[in-house]
Amino acid sequence: MAESAAETASVLAPARIDSRAWRQLLDRLAQVIISLGGYAVILSILGIFVFLVMEVAPLFFAPTGQRTGQFLAGPLLQSLPQATLVGVEEHQEVAYLLKAGDTGHVSFFSLPSGKPLETETPAALAGAPVTAVTRASGKGGRFGLGTADGRLISMDIEMAADFVKETRRIVPRIAVSLPIQIIPTKDKVVRLAYQRTDAGTAAAVLTESGRLWHSTVLPPSNPEAAPTVNPVELTAQITGTATALLLDGRGETLAVGTADGRLYYWDVRETGHPVLLENLAVSRSGAAVTTLAYLIGDRSLVIGTGSGEVSAWMPVRATKESNATRLLPIHQFGAHPAAVTGISPSQRDKGFVTGDAQGNVFVHYATSGQTLLRFPGDGIAIGSLMFAPKANGAVAMTDAGLIASYAIHNPHPEITFASLFQPVWYEGYEQPEHVWQSSGATDDFEAKFGLTPLLFGTIKGTLYAMLLAVPLAVLGAIYTSMFMHPDLRAKIKPTIEIMAALPTVVLGFLAGLWMAPLLERIFPAVLAMFVVLPLSAMLAALLWQLLPCTLRNGIRPGVEAFLLMPVLVGAAFLCLSFNASIESLLFGADYKNWLANTLGLRYDQRNALVVGFAMGFAIIPIIFSISEEALSNVPRNLIAGSLALGATPWQTLARLVFISASPGIFSALMIGFGRAVGETMIVLMATGNTPIMDWSLFNGFRTLSANIAVEIPEAPHGGTLYRTLFMAALLLFAITFLVNTGAEIIRQRLRKKYSQF
Amino acid sequence: MRTWRKKTMASGSLFVWGSGAGLAVALLMVIGLLLLIVVNGMGFFWTGDIIELTLADGKHLMGQQAGRETIPNSVAPDAPKGKSRVRVKIGNRDLYGLDFKWVDEDRIASQTFPPNAVLLERREWGNFYGWIKAIRKGETLHAAGSDIGWNALLPLVDQANDLHAGINRIERVEIGEINAAITRAQLKIRALEMNQPPGQAPHGPTLDRLKTAIASAEAQYREKTEQLDKLNAQFNEYSVLMVDANGREKQLPVGQIIRALRPNDMGIPAKIWVYITNVWRVLADEPREANTEGGIFPAIFGTVMMVLIMSMAVVPFGVLAALYLREYAKQGTVVRLVRIAVNNLAGVPSIVFGVFGLGFFVYAIGGTIDTLFFPESLPSPTYGTGGILWASLTLALMTVPVVIVATEEGLAAVPRDFREGSLALGATKLETVVRVILPCALPAILTGLILAMARAAGEVAPLMLTGVVKLAPTLPVDATWPFFHFDRKFMHLGFHIYDVGFQSPNVEAAKPMVYITTLVLIMVVVLLNLTAITLRNHLRKKYAGSAV
Repeated sequence: MAESAAETASVLAPARIDSRAWRQLLDRLAQVIISLGGYAVILSILGIFVFLVMEVAPLFFAPTGQRTGQFLAGPLLQSLPQATLVGVEEHQEVAYLLKAGDTGHVSFFSLPSGKPLETETPAALAGAPVTAVTRASGKGGRFGLGTADGRLISMDIEMAADFVKETRRIVPRIAVSLPIQIIPTKDKVVRLAYQRTDAGTAAAVLTESGRLWHSTVLPPSNPEAAPTVNPVELTAQITGTATALLLDGRGETLAVGTADGRLYYWDVRETGHPVLLENLAVSRSGAAVTTLAYLIGDRSLVIGTGSGEVSAWMPVRATKESNATRLLPIHQFGAHPAAVTGISPSQRDKGFVTGDAQGNVFVHYATSGQTLLRFPGDGIAIGSLMFAPKANGAVAMTDAGLIASYAIHNPHPEITFASLFQPVWYEGYEQPEHVWQSSGATDDFEAKFGLTPLLFGTIKGTLYAMLLAVPLAVLGAIYTSMFMHPDLRAKIKPTIEIMAALPTVVLGFLAGLWMAPLLERIFPAVLAMFVVLPLSAMLAALLWQLLPCTLRNGIRPGVEAFLLMPVLVGAAFLCLSFNASIESLLFGADYKNWLANTLGLRYDQRNALVVGFAMGFAIIPIIFSISEEALSNVPRNLIAGSLALGATPWQTLARLVFISASPGIFSALMIGFGRAVGETMIVLMATGNTPIMDWSLFNGFRTLSANIAVEIPEAPHGGTLYRTLFMAALLLFAITFLVNTGAEIIRQRLRKKYSQF
Repeated sequence: MRTWRKKTMASGSLFVWGSGAGLAVALLMVIGLLLLIVVNGMGFFWTGDIIELTLADGKHLMGQQAGRETIPNSVAPDAPKGKSRVRVKIGNRDLYGLDFKWVDEDRIASQTFPPNAVLLERREWGNFYGWIKAIRKGETLHAAGSDIGWNALLPLVDQANDLHAGINRIERVEIGEINAAITRAQLKIRALEMNQPPGQAPHGPTLDRLKTAIASAEAQYREKTEQLDKLNAQFNEYSVLMVDANGREKQLPVGQIIRALRPNDMGIPAKIWVYITNVWRVLADEPREANTEGGIFPAIFGTVMMVLIMSMAVVPFGVLAALYLREYAKQGTVVRLVRIAVNNLAGVPSIVFGVFGLGFFVYAIGGTIDTLFFPESLPSPTYGTGGILWASLTLALMTVPVVIVATEEGLAAVPRDFREGSLALGATKLETVVRVILPCALPAILTGLILAMARAAGEVAPLMLTGVVKLAPTLPVDATWPFFHFDRKFMHLGFHIYDVGFQSPNVEAAKPMVYITTLVLIMVVVLLNLTAITLRNHLRKKYAGSAV
């Protein structure tokens, strides 16, 4: 301010010589600037709000997408169910097409033009009578090709990015293994599921004659020998024709869908001995299961049926203790108007695309159970499709041989209002739950952005803090404003202001490092203090009444609080020294055992009680100051009138002052509440920051504010986590805004009312 | 009896006492907390005597006593009640792994204070407690025996400290400047390249000049490294052979020793002197050992710098807003809205300001500055990452309501006659404000500023998002052009408490440091607040009379 004054003064200097107009001009200018400064305050509040909203909003934007191109890839073999396979690499510059037939099994096209790329087809593939093509799940271009004589060819396609003068060119490379006779008969393979595992290769085969096989191929022990093939026929274990085959990424389970709408589910971990785990009807309408796919992580199984239903199933443990799981339908997605013909999972999240017999392509997201996008088709069935590896596009091929490419913009698929605030059925959970767990150890981790546990933690911490702070602060304010000697009052208020100014990081540090271990040791004594301290104060008051008048009159009134201090310190000391006795009296031997056995509660060292004390400490001065102000502002003539009519000071307080000041005290509580809601450092340091939902006094919690502090260093700018944390900040802003505005309105009204006297 | 009870109930003296108890508890909590911090923080500087404990099993322990308590139930549930144990700081972390040890008093056979026991403060591994056996120069014996060794050691330690300061200066300041020059030149070359049309290499005299500058800087660098090697050889020339309480030997390079003390031989004045130097070293030294030892100077400096930058931003804004509210605005709906907005701004949680600062200042504004002015260093950000400027601005936004409210109060207290007198004499409104009202309100503005500074000094949560770090290699102000580095990250007392207390691997050994940092922070905050309160009370008294 000193600078601005000096600056203006120097500008004013010529005014002495200059005309009145100059001074008037300056005056106007200053008026404008100062008014702008005033408006800037409103604007900055508004600006913070608008900025937060702008950062949060993209979370809820509807995903967008359009078809970016379409080209004819040539005539197709229509007679076989798995005759074609279309795919795209991560930059969406090159698409590939795998085809059954005797020649031309693999072709590449640059996108979106559809110009074919020249590539050498490996010699091993030439002339092979391929009848079924399939993709292994997971990252990396691994494919299995089944032949007309019951053999399997493994194929790898690598899309290498080649940089020539800073322009990227995608160069596809193909590697093919020798064909392996995978089933004992030389039958024609019509459906195939294929997976590369740690041990070797796993495949499921349906032959033209309707026989179903599961087979594993183990590499030979020495290079010359032939690999070991272990085929097991499963035809007898199912009824109806198999219409969809699926192996998980590790080749441990086999799922087979049938024409009568049933799903068979085997554990195939033990070579040669598949164990049938499940046999259940998965189609509501009884239509055939037409396609199956695992989402990333191989936990959720997506099933498409002939009537267009799309559902996600997850293995769910029957009880928390048992290991046995059952497949349950968790999510139903927007149904297709025609039979589902293809499902392709995303390689980075729990999203997937589906195509149907009328050419429609839908984009779904499993965690939220939502169908996000619908690309209308042109009536021709989709034969095969693939979600682009970065989940930002897709390619689909129709039975007419048209390959269409799609661009999909959906940066935050997992967030909806429901997934933020309502229980969500995540993979591996027994039921829908509120969970916050933003990151995990593996790539296929399902991010869990439930804000409810954090809101819960915020409320819990605030509540325990208020329980401690409100009685102390309000009682203290009553005493200070009504009964305390005025000279002392002038000393008390600065002390309380110092208390308000104590940095919360200090309170948090003391709570976490000093109080938490101490409280763990002296918990029984602290418990006793809650009873003993008020009782000892009462006792002291009674004894004081019994003292002879001569002694009492020696001490001026209004110093009771100071007389009580030694009493309280003594009582607290007494509790502490009898800590062990109190513990054995109340809890038997050990209070932690007692808590665990009798109440089923676990005692964490950094718990809600510690936070209650520390945060209570932080909000006492706020509640105290505002309540004290409200009580002192009660017009003096009202009080004088009451006293003059013969009411005792206490009666005046209880029947007049407290009641008329109660809106002010209420607004003090609201402001204290607002402060506790947003407090960060204390909860960050004094709780374990575990996002659990439990009212227990003896365990920790995680608040919205601490969550921001913990997670934002790891949140990349603009990502889902980043925006979700902004959402948490916006929530805090909104809560405090409402509470503070409410409190302010109450206070202004009260001030107006008092001004009448 | 009945009348007595009735009287008591009516006068409510019980309730009066009850409400008094509420205040008493609150006051006791404040006093207790301050006492706790002061006692713990101040106690750390005192050098206690070295105690040697002989245990019942014949083993020896040596160190400084660091506490005594009744054995808690949780440690030994079956042990007889009421026994005590003592906590000894045994140091020698490189030998024992632990700094502290609890010893049950039952197990202590005898205790002595050996007069020639030595306490070595080391640059790494914490304190060493033991006796001097010999001092070696390389492999040859320099001095042998406890007392002769002690006398020989003291000058060596002083010499090593001087060398250490020299090495530090070369490493940090001189080589740092050379590196900065090289980086600057490289960035300029990069900028030249970026201004060229694609495919063409830059050329011309500027480039040649930059390249020679880099070459000469690199030559200087080699020279400095050689110098450094020589100093380092000298630094590690002498070593001292120590013996611990159980006779285990340990050879330490003298360069590792910061100070050697024989606390049991020292009188009270000597200990007071050590106490004072300890205080000074904590305030003036750099941290060591992952911040758990050494000093907190960079944190103090960072806090002060941040608060100063914040003050420069918060005062004009706050005073303008207050002037608008009190002097210029028509008292109506707008003003009411602004008041509510100000109160709201004061109530918004600090972490929300942090989030706003990160998104708005760091990413939006900082990112734009980087693309406009520092494209050559991208993708590594210059202003597009947390730094002292962004942290200060974030805190300025957070504390502006404090300044507004205080200034408004000051403006309201200026008597109406002053304004009317000034206007009547023909001054314009602006002249009245600048020459009459603002000087009167100056103490109030200062009060607001000091309160804002106190709040900013203690706030941590927003800083964690906008630029505070646990260890900043350089201060935001140094001798390298342009001297003030607003983009640099900084250390902060409050964050130091959080980091050392909660993120360091050895929390027990770090506790003294946390208490000291807390003490310094509390002193800063309390002093600022007391100043503000005194100023305000003075002000109120002054205008109480004249407002008639």
